[in-house]
Amino acid sequence: MEALTAEVAVNTIKELGSMVLYIILGTIILEILVYLVLGKIFKSKYTLPYMLMIAAIFGLTMLVIYPIGYEVRLAFTNMSLRHFRSYTLSWAQGLKNFGLIFSEPVLKQIRFFPLLFRTLLWTAVNVVFHLAGGLGLAILLNRQMRGRGFYRALLVCPWAVPQIIAVLAWKGEFHYEYGFINVMLKSIGMQPIQWMISPFWNFAAACITNIWLGIPFMMIIILGGLQSIPLEFYDAAEIDGASRWQQFRNITLPLLKPVLTPAVVLGIIWTFNNFNVPYMINANELETTDILVTALFRAAFEYHRYGFSAAFAMIIFIVLFIIASVYIRITHGLKGAYE
Amino acid sequence: MKKFLTVLLVLVMLMGIVGIASAKVNLILWTKEGEEALDWNKSLIEEFMKANPNITIELVKKTNVEVLREDFLTASLAGAAPDILWTVSDHAGPFVAADIVEAVDNLFDLNMYVESAMDAVKLEGKYWGIPISNGNQLMLLYNKKLIAEAPKDTDELFAVGKKLTTGGNYALVWNQTEPFWLVPWLGGFKGKVFAEDGVTPTLNTPEMIATLKFLHDMKFDAKIVPPECDYDAADTLFKEGKAAMIINGDWSISGYVSVLGDDLGVARIPKVSATGEWPKPYTSGVYFMLTKGISGDKLKAAQDFIGFVSSKEKQLEGVKLLNRLPAVKEALEDPLITENPILKGSADQMVVGTPMPTVLEMRCNWDSMKPEMLAVLADTKSPEDAAKLMQSSAESCIKSLE
Repeated sequence: MEALTAEVAVNTIKELGSMVLYIILGTIILEILVYLVLGKIFKSKYTLPYMLMIAAIFGLTMLVIYPIGYEVRLAFTNMSLRHFRSYTLSWAQGLKNFGLIFSEPVLKQIRFFPLLFRTLLWTAVNVVFHLAGGLGLAILLNRQMRGRGFYRALLVCPWAVPQIIAVLAWKGEFHYEYGFINVMLKSIGMQPIQWMISPFWNFAAACITNIWLGIPFMMIIILGGLQSIPLEFYDAAEIDGASRWQQFRNITLPLLKPVLTPAVVLGIIWTFNNFNVPYMINANELETTDILVTALFRAAFEYHRYGFSAAFAMIIFIVLFIIASVYIRITHGLKGAYE
Repeated sequence: MKKFLTVLLVLVMLMGIVGIASAKVNLILWTKEGEEALDWNKSLIEEFMKANPNITIELVKKTNVEVLREDFLTASLAGAAPDILWTVSDHAGPFVAADIVEAVDNLFDLNMYVESAMDAVKLEGKYWGIPISNGNQLMLLYNKKLIAEAPKDTDELFAVGKKLTTGGNYALVWNQTEPFWLVPWLGGFKGKVFAEDGVTPTLNTPEMIATLKFLHDMKFDAKIVPPECDYDAADTLFKEGKAAMIINGDWSISGYVSVLGDDLGVARIPKVSATGEWPKPYTSGVYFMLTKGISGDKLKAAQDFIGFVSSKEKQLEGVKLLNRLPAVKEALEDPLITENPILKGSADQMVVGTPMPTVLEMRCNWDSMKPEMLAVLADTKSPEDAAKLMQSSAESCIKSLE
């Protein structure tokens, strides 16, 4: 917003300086405390290791453990805009919050299970296309060809662009009047699409954007996996008379599994929890494009149902945990990690 | 390299000590403004700081009013709220409910401000904001090069509109994605979004159905508006001379004056022929709000700054720059306003406007109207079904607010 003048720079450094100062002072106090308590009072032989770890332990507690604990506590309160500063904490309120998720609309009209179904559909459509697109492109790139490096760099581009920028650019392209898709449709005599108003097309627009964004990640992961498969397997298969399809099915896919499983699990988690794309593409706040996390955001920050939203967030976590566990169990994909 | 980094760290820390030790009064002001209004924010602050060297005001621009609302709630919860807000009156409802703004009754001389502007931020018997400008109402702005006079009623609008809409040019543009633009027409059809108690939604009514039908007809029968048109598209089409008329608020006038100059005309939104009523846009304004618990030097500095902006001179400066009606009585009577045709048009529209409800329930009404209005304008739902869903949505949303 403001130009970077000397005054702005000095003020920024001053603020940054005070923050660094507080951090250093805090660390010194912590170290002294640990030294005095463990070293002088308890005479522990682990004083030095604890002194080395205390800053990290403190940081992780404040940044990870405390927020999760706060969230669980919040799920048992009636905190909302009307009870913003003076809310009540009780088991009964917690049960009510969890009950409301399944018994009443989570936003205005949409209920939990249709929303969950839509989120699963969103995840399935995106991950399938990410995987198919990524696998196809990786196989195409995993052979000798001219300009391979150039193609690879070009195909990785969507991944290199910051997601928000890419989504905003796509949002512009879905504009009814000026977006390139509609301009092209009009130029070939077809009817332009109401991307931002029509529930189906808005959901499709979000899918298109996310598929475009997600393919490069899969491509890179799969390409790495493909390059680690020894060529001798293919030579042996060719000598045995295996067709290309048989080679792909019996060599490539099984050997890609250790790479594909974590990539797919990550893909599922990222897509299931993807906020930027469905939220930003859904400029008109259609409930028909909301998935669980965007609905959660709206419940928390547009309707200010903080207690309810905390309970809702815990349910989403459980759903995601079950999906990931089932997938890992079925595919035995993390077997290598435990052996 | 190591030495350099050490020296840099020590320097940064020393400056930090200077920062902590500084005795100035620092205020943080969040604004919802952009473009010309934001420039005015900046120049006001600069001038005030020059006259009061012991006060520093840091201006933070929030992308839009929604972001400002959400961020202020989050920041208040975290105990890191800014000191002053420069925002719209409808924020009074959520902020008062959350108990995060300070009542201004005993902090300022409220008699100097226009009563209707003060009433817009009166909740629970107290006032929660100091008006900066008054109005914020939608009105009809037209390009005199394309249409000599504004249509008086909707029949005339449709008749003229059909002639003006040809090959990529449109008669009328408006933001078809926000129900704020539906409300004036609802008023024209004698409808209201709340019952007499001010909190019970009345969205499934014959008046709402008639309004939705009217908007549907405007798009699909008369075809005088673009098939899909958000705020930016409407604004661009009007500025590029591809739209003869636009329905937009007083905040947009200065931008259009700089593009169209004397060719810009301002008039009331055409009367609804079916009822003979003028459309009733919501009126509100731009307000200062003070964060809960502001006291001591900070409160004094905030009072001084607000007093500075409320002076007749600064109010008229705002009028000249932004073409918004002032909120201070003394400034409202100045010839600058009474003799300016654009401001006269704006004031004329404001007369038939209606104060925008600031209660928390309004949020549910807005959010319930929006998707259904969009569905009608996408021709995917009938006005009857849309009105029914608006009502049930709003009721379910209001229930969840408790």
